[in-house]
Amino acid sequence: MNKKQSVFKNIINTGIPFVIMISLGIVIILSFLLSATPFKTLRYFFFGSFQNLYYFGNMLNSAIPLVFGGLGISIAMTSDNFNLGGEGQVYSGAFTTTIVAVALAPLGIFGGIIALLAGTLLAGIIGGLSGYFKMKWSTSELITSFLLSNAIVLIVNYLITGPFLDPETNLLATRKVPEVMRLQKILPPSSLSTGAIYAVIAVFLVYMFMYKTRTGYELRVCGANPRFAVYGGLDVKKNMVLPMFISGAFYGLGGGLAIYGTFFSCMKEFHVGLGWNGLAVALIARFKPKAVIPAAIFFAWIGSGAKIAMQRCDVTLEIASIVQAVVFFLITCEVFQRNYFKKKEELACK
Amino acid sequence: MSVAIEFCDISKTFLSNNLQACKNVCLKIEQCEILCIAGENGAGKSTLMKMLDGLEAPSEGVIKIRGKSVNIQSPLDANKLKIGMVHQHFMLFDDFTVAQNVTMAIEPIKNKLFYDKKKAEEEVGKVINGYGFSIDSKELVGNLTIGQKQQTEIIKMLYRKVDFLILDEPTAVLTEKEIDALFENLISLKKEGKTIILITHKLKEIKRISDRVAIMKKGELVGVYDTSSLSEFEISSLMFDGGVSLGISRTENAFKAEKPVISFKNVTVQKVNLPRPSLDNVNFDAFPGEILGFAGVGGNGLGFLEGVLSGIIKVSSGKIFHKGKEITSFETKALRKDGLSYVPSDRLGTGSAASLSVAENLIVNSLSEFTQKGILQKDKIEEFTDEMLGNFSVSGTKEVPISSLSGGNIQKIILAREIERVKDYIIFSEPTWGLDISSSQFVYKQIEKLRDKGVAILLISSNLEEVLSLSDRIAIFCKGRIVKMFDNEGKISRHEIGDYMLAQKSDYKEGENE
Repeated sequence: MNKKQSVFKNIINTGIPFVIMISLGIVIILSFLLSATPFKTLRYFFFGSFQNLYYFGNMLNSAIPLVFGGLGISIAMTSDNFNLGGEGQVYSGAFTTTIVAVALAPLGIFGGIIALLAGTLLAGIIGGLSGYFKMKWSTSELITSFLLSNAIVLIVNYLITGPFLDPETNLLATRKVPEVMRLQKILPPSSLSTGAIYAVIAVFLVYMFMYKTRTGYELRVCGANPRFAVYGGLDVKKNMVLPMFISGAFYGLGGGLAIYGTFFSCMKEFHVGLGWNGLAVALIARFKPKAVIPAAIFFAWIGSGAKIAMQRCDVTLEIASIVQAVVFFLITCEVFQRNYFKKKEELACK
Repeated sequence: MSVAIEFCDISKTFLSNNLQACKNVCLKIEQCEILCIAGENGAGKSTLMKMLDGLEAPSEGVIKIRGKSVNIQSPLDANKLKIGMVHQHFMLFDDFTVAQNVTMAIEPIKNKLFYDKKKAEEEVGKVINGYGFSIDSKELVGNLTIGQKQQTEIIKMLYRKVDFLILDEPTAVLTEKEIDALFENLISLKKEGKTIILITHKLKEIKRISDRVAIMKKGELVGVYDTSSLSEFEISSLMFDGGVSLGISRTENAFKAEKPVISFKNVTVQKVNLPRPSLDNVNFDAFPGEILGFAGVGGNGLGFLEGVLSGIIKVSSGKIFHKGKEITSFETKALRKDGLSYVPSDRLGTGSAASLSVAENLIVNSLSEFTQKGILQKDKIEEFTDEMLGNFSVSGTKEVPISSLSGGNIQKIILAREIERVKDYIIFSEPTWGLDISSSQFVYKQIEKLRDKGVAILLISSNLEEVLSLSDRIAIFCKGRIVKMFDNEGKISRHEIGDYMLAQKSDYKEGENE
């Protein structure tokens, strides 16, 4: 009981409810400014997602890749590594999964698993590279992951619209993955798939990894105090590469599952926002694996609410982007500020 | 002469570790004088002056300036009261020019918006010439020598038109020539009507420059004397003599082993940007069952010794052996595997991770024992933590973040972790810094217990009492060298030790090779 109370208190203290209230306040203001029927708009925005199974399932479905991204970022951030390359990692992971799956079609489900692993591995390597550079040349992983990601997005764009373009459709997309590899729908008519179950399993596994294993402990020590990690004789170098790899791999896995569950083919720039929103989800969740699912659903809810309001009323989809941007902005401010004060306090102690 | 600054019954207690840095200090500083504040490490000199500069607030007492009591809350307040401090570590930006650094925060502005470069350079140039300094206001600070950087700091204060200039250990980093130049400048500043306060422990400099000297010991003001009335010997006696007993009795060690556990052979550490080696040709052997104490005034190599022993600082030349095996190039990880146990001086920054729990802080150096196939064994960890909390009588529980414990209890957790895994040697650095008497006693008992078990103990401490009360042998560091190595049998007087620590005496021979 006591513990629960303190958890609740912690959430209050983080300032996150405050941030959420501000951002929802902005939704209200924007609706009154932009919409001719503000009350109707707001009703769809806030409650539209729960109106029927179709909307509800789709909302949950769009939270799945955010859970994976958020988990990866949480691991990276807990060990004091910044991965800003989510966009490129999701995109390349999804793309690799798709083309490998298409190529391995004769192998059936087995081929699908190999394809998913290939996409995960590639995205992991892309993330891990930034960690490797940091270890080798002390470059900032924050910068290198971001730049790498930008370059990779362009390369994948080329591959999709060039060599791997599906000639049978007019879309800028690759061929579709074979039927047998696609994830089962669990809430028809919505597109919610069994990917949701995998997301829940992933949260559990990450939690176990971070808090019950030796490697997880080492990562947390490196994040809590790198000097203490060195002093204690831990392998600090390994702990620069590994979390960046895991973080990239989770993005890639999320991208691959999004293909299997929702999109079936890798469309040009389908990934936009998945990387950054994964980061935002991790920030809202304060890098705690257990909090990633509610945070991801919150983000998905804003996006889906705006979509429904757009379809039914006279507002545009940008309203979601504005709200998500405000949440992202305020949360990052708050996190950075907290870290800043923490550092200042530490300095004052000396 | 009139009294300019008056400390009335000032006390300062640090809440974080309950350390009383200043006790009822009453000190009057006169207009137009050069006053030296002298004392050992931790005597409270810097804390006292930081209160004048607004960096610390007194717990009790008032500071009066020209008879008026003032409340100085920040260096900015201090500047307004015409007080300025030059810190031991310069607070300058290398990529900015002298003029930019000097005018920082009070830059001349043109058109209400833009930094007026020309005016800044002109004005700073005027100050430089006016006080007879010799640097160019347009030069980048990064290109200056250390002496010139210090001049920039002083100019920064003069530009702010301060009347009271505090310098914290100004000569620690300077060469002889630079010291001469600094002192000339200070004397001419005094003639201009400035009051100068120097924090120092160098006897020669006190004699050479100051009008009066205030001597502090263990947070208390011993007295204020006219410098001309005291000899160097007397100053040193006032600084070092009559230490309080720590309430421990040294026992002879039972082990007379012939093979050393840790040996340093001509170990030198030379940092590229420093004029002299930080560790200069250091040789010693640490034997099992003995406490080898390292004493010295701050900035004379003890910090580097700690860094080298713990694998954080790389040696430039020389060799280190552990039981005959060379470990010179080992990093901390390898040293830990090899048998390093180490209680660091920086408890919060190095010795613990504040946000992790007590249990998580206790297992960092012995993970293999608590993991099976990569999984942490919760039961074993909890059992171990409970045992340690009991053995070391820590008041605290295992799940709470270690930062919620008091300083003494944090140190006990670190001791528990390191002592429990001790192999054949252990390093203690400032083991009782900031601890109250009962916690210190506890630490001393633990150290003696280890010694009786035959562990080689390397005790690095700037607390001379501690080193003298515990050690079997003592090495005194000065300017990165071991200037004296002796058996602690009471044959050598406290005053003589002070002389070695303050570079009045040295047994170090150039080019000594074993």
